Amino acid sequence: MTDMDEARLAETFRAAAGAAPPAGFDHADVVRASRRATARRRAAVAGSALAVVAVIGVGVAVTAPGGGNGRDASVAAAPVPAPDGAPEAAAGGQERSGPADAGPPEAPLGPSEGECAPKQDPALRALVEQALPETADATEAPVTLECAPGGSRAVHLEVEDGGVAGLLVVQYLPPGQRPRPGAPDARGDEIAYAAAATASGGEVAITSTRTGPGERPPFADRLAAAAAVLAPRL
Amino acid sequence: MNEAGNADEEAFAAYFRARREHVRRTAYLLCGDWHRADDHAQSAFVALHRNWRRIRDRGALDAWMRRTLVRAVVDESRRPWRRERAVAEPDPGAVADGAGDGVATRHVLVDGLRTVPPRQRAVLVLRFLEGLDVARTAEVLGCSEGTVKSQTAHGLAALRAALGDALDDLRPAG
Repeated sequence: MTDMDEARLAETFRAAAGAAPPAGFDHADVVRASRRATARRRAAVAGSALAVVAVIGVGVAVTAPGGGNGRDASVAAAPVPAPDGAPEAAAGGQERSGPADAGPPEAPLGPSEGECAPKQDPALRALVEQALPETADATEAPVTLECAPGGSRAVHLEVEDGGVAGLLVVQYLPPGQRPRPGAPDARGDEIAYAAAATASGGEVAITSTRTGPGERPPFADRLAAAAAVLAPRL
Repeated sequence: MNEAGNADEEAFAAYFRARREHVRRTAYLLCGDWHRADDHAQSAFVALHRNWRRIRDRGALDAWMRRTLVRAVVDESRRPWRRERAVAEPDPGAVADGAGDGVATRHVLVDGLRTVPPRQRAVLVLRFLEGLDVARTAEVLGCSEGTVKSQTAHGLAALRAALGDALDDLRPAG
């Protein structure tokens, strides 16, 4: 292709993208959405911490007869706004407050609520940070505002591991939801993948895709362990 | 909000004002639909706002936005619940009514681009709309320069297969 060809093609592309309709969003919309997402994430982190407090509170109530009935824990959890299902665990601390020693210390997060699941789920992000602490400061990768199937959860993060940049996608699909995540094309130097069945009967899948120079995707050796950490919590 | 916070907000607002329309146009050619283009562009700006303080190299904001846009569009095309639907073959005759007409140019080229696989389409948009050379395109896509060259060739071949002679007719007379 000659330089002239390239110049003409460029002119054609510019013409094709011209005459844009009025924008569907402005600066205020962007700032509002950004702050809403940040607030959801903070609430989710707070919700996770309060869920632990609630479970401990229930445990104390059960092991100390007459010392309470879990109400204190539910009161502590009550002010937490609904961060996309994050308080499920907190609320579950009260509703599932039967025998505290009959199950895992923390109820699994399980499916998200509603028909429209976010692609950056704050409650799942909080769990991912427990499984892979290096992701605590990771930048959220851009995703579309379009809904994911109801009940699912996902997190998309721009990560770096040993100087290798990549995209980390953690996806939870609830029981019965199709299609279940399948192993992507095997390209060991570009994509690493791990999946596990979760406590709620769903599946968690983690995909790490190398997006910059390097020999392996970020956290390639740790995805299976991370999936094993997440599985009982989901 | 403290002084540094105000300065950050002002810097973001200035960048948004300067780049919104360009980002929307890039998104439009990447996905072929203005509603989805606005969705992608807004999502990219929201992500940028959320990460504004963490992006150390402010000289690389455009590259960051390009990377995020391309990734979001290609990623979306892979989602089982949002696969791009195959479009009907574009009608090369549509351009015959007015080869110099801007509306025909837009519709025919955008229809043709929809038939090009997402990754190849991204290469074409980065090369010919954004004006990036092979090396910078490779940086945005995280691939080798050889891959960019081959995907450019394949993408143009796919575009030509879809549009036929209409592609040449679309080009402004030189």
